[in-house]
Parts: sequence; C-alpha cells; structure tokens
Amino acid sequence: VVRRRWLRSDEFVQDYTLAQLLPGPTVSNLAITLGHRLAGLPGATWALLAVIVPGLVVLLALAILYFARGLAPGTASLMHGMAAAVVGLLLVTAVRLMRPVLVTTRAVVVAAATFAAVGPLRLNTAAVLLVAAGLSVWLHRPGSRP
Amino acid sequence: VSDLLWLTWTFLWLSLLCVGGGVGVIPEMQRQVVENHQWVTAREFVDGYTLAQLTPGPNMLIAAFVGYRAHGVPGALLATLAMFLPTSLVTVIVTDRWQRWRGHRWADAVERALAPVGMGLMAAGVYTLARSALHDVLTVALALTAALVLATRRAPPMLVVLVAGLVGWLLGA
Repeated sequence: VVRRRWLRSDEFVQDYTLAQLLPGPTVSNLAITLGHRLAGLPGATWALLAVIVPGLVVLLALAILYFARGLAPGTASLMHGMAAAVVGLLLVTAVRLMRPVLVTTRAVVVAAATFAAVGPLRLNTAAVLLVAAGLSVWLHRPGSRP
Repeated sequence: VSDLLWLTWTFLWLSLLCVGGGVGVIPEMQRQVVENHQWVTAREFVDGYTLAQLTPGPNMLIAAFVGYRAHGVPGALLATLAMFLPTSLVTVIVTDRWQRWRGHRWADAVERALAPVGMGLMAAGVYTLARSALHDVLTVALALTAALVLATRRAPPMLVVLVAGLVGWLLGA
C-alpha cells in the first residue's frame, strides 16, 4: 500500500477486516484477497504460495533440527526463553488489536465471555463460536443501541 | 495411514475455526494435537509455535511442525495443505460477494459482531500458550519484560525473542 500503491488504504483495511472474519489464517486470507483484487485467480494463487512456501521450508528445517535434537544441549532453556518472549509479544499484539474493538459494553461482554469459555473453562471452540457469534450478531443487530 | 487421515482432517477442521486470526484456534489445536491424538507434547507444541513465530509467514504453519512430528515430511505437507487450501477457496469465493454486500446494514452488523468474538478467542489462545510457556519466575519475568519492551516499539519483535532466548540459555530457564 505504502510503497507500491497497488491499492488504496481503505481498500486494504476492508480486505483486512474480511480476511480476519473469514475462517482460515488471517495472513493467507489477506494475501488471497489482495492478490485476487490485483490479478484475479492467478494473483490469488501466487500470493498464497508466496506467503506460505518460504515459511514452510524454513519451519520444516527447524522442525527437523528440533526433533533430531541436533542443536546444542542448551536448546531446551533457549526455547523456554524464546517461548516466554513470544507470549509477551502476543500479549502486546492482543492488547493493540483489542483497543479499537472493545469500545462498547456489549463488545467487552462478548469478548470476555468467549475468553472465559474457551480459555479457563476449556469448552469446545466450535460450540462456543456458534453460540457467541449468534449471541453477538443478535446484540449487534441493525437498529440496536450500543 | 488412518492416522495420517486424522491429521489432515484435524487441521482442516481447525482451519475453519480460525476466526479473527490464528491465535484464537490455539486452545482447540492444543487439545486435539496434544491431548486427543498425542502427536506432540505440550512443551513441543509451545516450542513449535515459538519457531513458527520466528519464521516468516503465518504462524499457523505450526501445522507443518506438528505434521512433521507425527508423520515426517508427508505429514507436514498434508497438515499445511489442510490448514490453508480449503479456507483459501472459501476466501476466493466470498471475497467477490462480500464487496457487494458491504454497506448493507446486516453485513456491517456481522462484521462488528464477530470482531469481539475473535478477540475473546485470541485472548484464550494467549492464555493457553502462557500456561505452557510460563512455568517459573524466570519465564514470567522474561514474558513481562518482553511485553514492556515491545509496548514501547523501540525494538523489533524478532530481536526481543532472540535476546530472551539467550537470557534463558544463560540463566538455564
């Protein structure tokens, strides 16, 4: 968007929202939506491959190393440190994404209930998703007040 | 072979639950691949997520990590295909139509309604990973320090993660 001006910033935001809503990982969905907008079906296919294949090759190499225990004996504590930082990173990312969304009482209630059900209560995600989405759409129905 | 089919089916099903980003599906993925099918241990699962985070591309490539542990390279490829291909087709099909629906008041309501559900799922995903990754004072301290540093946007995430790994290695986390 910024460097190549392939599309307008509002188009990007629209596609990003859609990529998040649709099932499937956001990044690959976004790549497909953008690729499709720019170059139709071939664009979508290439965008998907470009997003997945390099990471797949690298991760597969790391997985082979990890399970072969080919790294130094300190691997475990190295991984423990990195995993802890990744949790910190996810925490910061989650807070950043939540701030613009959780602005109404009903949004906070829906998010908190979904979290409690799937996190600490460990209920089945598919069931929670159906109930929470249904409830949330009803709470957000056209004409309702926040 | 039947376990390979289970692996493919599991990731296909999980990909459909990735609403509002990949992290939200982590609790269900952990239950399936660690507890139900025991393809990886809880520790391997969180380590796999960490490696996926360090790798360019979507974090849901953790499917490849789990698939590799369960059934080698064919497992990795099948799990990745199952994770990305079907939902990609849905995306291609829906994208066109959604552009036409957008602006309709029910379409807007659905967009606004699903966003907080996605946020709740994401929080549950962070919670699930934290339970496996933060097992002593040092890891908790590392996570909080990393969060504080990243909140200031002064350091790139990759660097923070690598430095935390180094600290963990030096202090024997």
